[in-house]
Amino acid sequence: MADAPASPGGGGSHESGDHSPRSNFREQDRFLPIANISRIMKKALPANGKIAKDAKETVQECVSEFISFITSEASDKCQREKRKTINGDDLLWAMTTLGFEEYVDPLKIYLASYREGDSKGSAKGGETSAKRDVYQNPNVQVENLAHQGSFSQGVNYTNSQNVRREADASFT
Amino acid sequence: MRQAGAYSGLLCGGVSGRTGPHSLPLARIKKIMKKSGEDVKMISGEAPIIFSKACELFIEELTRRSWIMAIQGKRRTLHKDDLTSAVIATDIFDFLITLVSNSDSHALGPSTTTVMEVETIDYS
Repeated sequence: MADAPASPGGGGSHESGDHSPRSNFREQDRFLPIANISRIMKKALPANGKIAKDAKETVQECVSEFISFITSEASDKCQREKRKTINGDDLLWAMTTLGFEEYVDPLKIYLASYREGDSKGSAKGGETSAKRDVYQNPNVQVENLAHQGSFSQGVNYTNSQNVRREADASFT
Repeated sequence: MRQAGAYSGLLCGGVSGRTGPHSLPLARIKKIMKKSGEDVKMISGEAPIIFSKACELFIEELTRRSWIMAIQGKRRTLHKDDLTSAVIATDIFDFLITLVSNSDSHALGPSTTTVMEVETIDYS
C-alpha cells in the first residue's frame, strides 16, 4: 500500500500535479511517499497539532538526506575494508559514528523481531518462543513486538553479524 | 487464538507478509540508498529494513524537536521555519542545515547521479 497512490493523505500534496518541478529527478525516485511521512509525523505530535504542507515536504527531503548521509558513511567503511556489500552492521556503525547511537538498540530489536516473524524458522532455530509471541498477536504493531522481543534475540543478531563479518574478512 | 483484525493490515502498512510491518516502502528506500554514491553497488537485504525503522525514528525526533519550536512561538501548526530552528539547535542534524536554510536546495541529486546496477543479497 505504501506507494500505491501518489499522495492521498496530508491535506493536499505537491505531488498531485504531473512530474515534480522540484528537480530533474522523478519524485518517486528521490523521496519516500509524503503520506507515509505525514502519518509518522502525526504520531509524534499531540492530537491538536497540525502540520503545514511545507513542513511535510521539508521532512520528506530531510529523510532522503538522512538515508544518503548514513549510506555514504557506511559505504566508505565498506570500501576501506574492501567489501562490496553494505550490510546492516555497517549502517548501525555509521549511525553510531554520526551521532545517532540512540537509534541502534531499537533497530537491533526491530530487526530481530522482523527476522523472527519473517524467516519462518529457516534462519535460526531455537527461538520458537519469540516467534510464538509474534503469531499470537498478529495485529500488534511492530513497536509493541519490539518491546516483547527478548534480549537474546538481539544477542543472536549480533552473533550472526559477527560470523558474517569474519566471513567477509576472510576474503581480504 | 486471536485473529488478526480486519484493519490490522491497513494499520501495519499492508497485508502481504514482507511489506506488512514496515511503515515505509523498502524498494523506495533502496533507490535512495543507491543514489547516495556511485560506490554503493550492493546492499544487503536487511539494510532497507533497518532504514525503514531508522527513518521512522528520525522523522519522529525531527518532528518532536520542531514541535517544541512551534510551541515556543505559541503556534499549533508545524511550519518549515520550526524545522529550520530545530535543525540549527540540534547537533546531530547539522548535515541538514544547508537543506533547510536554502529553500532552493531541491537538487539533492546532481553529485550522485551515477546509478549503477545494484544487486541485493538476501540473507535468509
